[in-house]
Amino acid sequence: MFLKRLCPILITGIFASPLFAQDGGQLYGLYCSACHGADGKGATGGAFPPLAGSEWIAGNPKRTIAIALLGLHGPVEVSGKTYNLEMPPQGAVLANDQLAAILNYVHTSWGNTGEKVSTELVASVRNELKDRTTHWTAAELQKLYPLDIKKTALSDLISRVYPGSWNAQTDFSKLESKNVEEEHNGLLDITISGIKDNFAVVWDGQFTAPEDGTYFFDIDADDCARLLIDGKNIAEIVSAGPMNGSRLKSAKISLTKGAHPFRLEYWEYGNQEGLTLRWKKAGDFKWNHLTKSAKPEAPSIPIQPTGGKTAIYRNFIHGTSPRAIGFGFPGGLNLAYSADHLAPELLWTGAFMDGSLHWVDRGIGSQRPAGDFVISLGKERFLPAEARFKGYSLDSLGNPTFMVGMGDQILKDSWEPGENNTFIRTLTLTGGTANLEIPTGATAPIVSQTSVRLSPDKPVSVVYTLSEQ
Amino acid sequence: MRSLLALTALSSYALAQTQADFYVTEKIPLPAGEVMELGSIALMPDEKIAVSTRRGDVWICSGAYADDLTKVTWQKFAGGLHEPLGMFYKDGALYLTQRPEFSRLQDTDGNGAADVFETINSDWGINGDYHEYAFGTSPDKNGDVWITLCLTGSGTAKSDWRGWTLRITPEGKMIPTCSGIRSPGGIGFNAEGDAFYTDNQGLWNGSSSLKWLKPGSFQGNPSGNVYHTLANLPAPPVPQDKSRVLAEHLKHPDYIPPAIVLPHTRVGQSPTAIEPDLSGGKFGPWANQVYIGEQTHSQVQRAYLEKVNGIYQGAVFHFLEGYDCGIIPAKLDNKKGILFAGGSNRGWASRGTKTFTFERTKWTGKTPFEILTMNAKPDGFTLTFTEPVEAASASNPASYSMNAWTYILQSGYGSPEVDQATQTIKSATVSADGKSVRLVIDGLVRGHVHHLKAPGVKSASGSGLWHKEAFYTLNEIPSK
Repeated sequence: MFLKRLCPILITGIFASPLFAQDGGQLYGLYCSACHGADGKGATGGAFPPLAGSEWIAGNPKRTIAIALLGLHGPVEVSGKTYNLEMPPQGAVLANDQLAAILNYVHTSWGNTGEKVSTELVASVRNELKDRTTHWTAAELQKLYPLDIKKTALSDLISRVYPGSWNAQTDFSKLESKNVEEEHNGLLDITISGIKDNFAVVWDGQFTAPEDGTYFFDIDADDCARLLIDGKNIAEIVSAGPMNGSRLKSAKISLTKGAHPFRLEYWEYGNQEGLTLRWKKAGDFKWNHLTKSAKPEAPSIPIQPTGGKTAIYRNFIHGTSPRAIGFGFPGGLNLAYSADHLAPELLWTGAFMDGSLHWVDRGIGSQRPAGDFVISLGKERFLPAEARFKGYSLDSLGNPTFMVGMGDQILKDSWEPGENNTFIRTLTLTGGTANLEIPTGATAPIVSQTSVRLSPDKPVSVVYTLSEQ
Repeated sequence: MRSLLALTALSSYALAQTQADFYVTEKIPLPAGEVMELGSIALMPDEKIAVSTRRGDVWICSGAYADDLTKVTWQKFAGGLHEPLGMFYKDGALYLTQRPEFSRLQDTDGNGAADVFETINSDWGINGDYHEYAFGTSPDKNGDVWITLCLTGSGTAKSDWRGWTLRITPEGKMIPTCSGIRSPGGIGFNAEGDAFYTDNQGLWNGSSSLKWLKPGSFQGNPSGNVYHTLANLPAPPVPQDKSRVLAEHLKHPDYIPPAIVLPHTRVGQSPTAIEPDLSGGKFGPWANQVYIGEQTHSQVQRAYLEKVNGIYQGAVFHFLEGYDCGIIPAKLDNKKGILFAGGSNRGWASRGTKTFTFERTKWTGKTPFEILTMNAKPDGFTLTFTEPVEAASASNPASYSMNAWTYILQSGYGSPEVDQATQTIKSATVSADGKSVRLVIDGLVRGHVHHLKAPGVKSASGSGLWHKEAFYTLNEIPSK
């Protein structure tokens, strides 16, 4: 509405001022920055699509000319986020040399490396599109001026679709596929089957490891899936069920640098369907997705220890209870304590937490630890019903001591990092006379004892070793 | 004709009152690079101010009272807390209402950052649902802190005490106090020290409103009723679906009707903070009235409460607007007469287009011509004004109009305005000092929101009202 009112004023302004050599930056500030931001990141904190780093800038320069001339309507995915807004057409407002100046500015600012746009090119695109009067949709633009395909770690990918009803894995060697396709985008997309229920898809290709090292794969499916690398089954979901994270399977393998045969088998039994597969190298923060997702993931917001002190994250952490308290220690050791169950419940190495689930929009769901190697110490409460969480204190490095009150006694549970991926946990019972036995939540080789017996005022230390077995 | 229009436009322009004449709002610089989506504000000694963020940090600001705000400095006091939405300072410690617990944070080694995080009470349930918010007050006159718990997903009660307001005593004991809560946006006290909360339009809530948390009361949404059994409390009432608030209040006296309805979209869409004016006139002439934050419209409303037949009711007026973002917490420094307000629009859009903000509003010392108070009478209302009215316009019934409506009390989401009625202004009598007007009105409807418009009223100095309307919730019609 506002833009509609604005247009006549702008037109008047242009006709009233003489044309001279155009300053793209200045024109951008005038015509574009209200929505796209002076910094190209999208105004009002990213409520509007960014131009900085946008995949829509790269490649064929006719694409941005066409958008600027005729506007864009409806949902469009930019840098992994979907926007559903209305870009007003600028073709009636801006002359060819002005558009060229603005687009050159956009194509070469904020790290963009788009192609040069000449006034003549704008004129020729304007002429090509002279019969069109309506806004573009993102799909139309994709068809006319396709976006550059981003490479994934998968290459030579071939999909085979098998209609049929299986509620568990099957042997594909005995089946004949309905169709075979090459998948140049290197992504697994179950919608290529064209079938909603009761089908299977098998993808074969090459997975290229960027260097020698340990790699993690996460797979989740509705219904079944099996991942094979170098012909070896490394992760599978064997029975029909939902894709809600509860059946997600994680795999860890060592790979040498270079291409490895890759195969993914997928079965859809009925009702809902879905497949996600992601990978990362040990020590990396970000996962790389190999499935085409309906909802692109938000960019990571790493939460990490700073200044040699722990980072704290109280929120819903997957694998523990709602009253979770996460601690990330310098050096890549992490802990999640449950203030519901009054016990530590997760230990992991590597990255601590990613804020992009809870710190974006309404913050729905529980966030998985961001690290590589998560150990669950249990999910049950072993202390009596009258035991109450009393909070925690921090030492000068931010190492926590959790406190639990039980009648006349206080249980103190202190954690600090030791050497070589170890945690030192010190348990102290103060007050009263009763003894207390506490399970450590783990067995060898993580800890040397499965429980600790405490007497008042006699601290006991336990070492948890988190080295990868 | 054209020159006449121009002249009219010019004269009304000259007389128009604008917010900048009376209140100046300034942005308080925030720590660079930090995402400061404010959830609560606490005033501290030495003109320091603590703020908590939705991401779970607590920062302490120095210099927010100074004329030169460019000198503001910030110190991070704590991090990694669980969405605190209530905070106060007492005896060297900051007390926070976090989603899972009420806690005390102390800096025992004096390095400026908290090192003891003591859980005082955590006897309510959370199950991992993002909507299970907990808003908390400062201590009441007994030292109790009031905490109001949003329903699970704002529609059901899947965890203990969802849909209830609790009190936490200084000893850390939890006292379940009121039932029937839906989705609070804030909780606080009026000038008398009675507790109120703001509840958002939705299930069993026809419009957002300011509600009185009378101990033992039910507030309209029965989803959380089941938890009365956890503390051997009597079962709260279950209102009849598609009824009216008044009808159900008459059936169930413990169902306390909303003290002041904030008619949906007319007076905001997401009310939040509740802050009484105890400044004795340092923030304008609104002593003992209540300010209400507004997230969607990025505003602060002004509310005048009175008690009739033992029930709170009163009027809401438009007041401050133009904040940079949706307002969630607000705190009035009553000694200085400065209103500190902050907020966020993450997840819920706001008129203010910044993603978060921290601002202060000061009174310029110039009083706008406004309706100061509005009291119900058996046959109408008495209005008082901030300055003497011009007798001719203020005594003319045609300078006023009134219509009224209510909402369907229903299990569905919200309600249209229903049972419309139009009142007749029979007479308007100006008091001897010119500062009040007695309106005799035909057709008042008990239980309805009465919308008064007074576009024709002029002050003795010739000015029209800054805000020309008021919305009075007439729960009770006084007998005298």
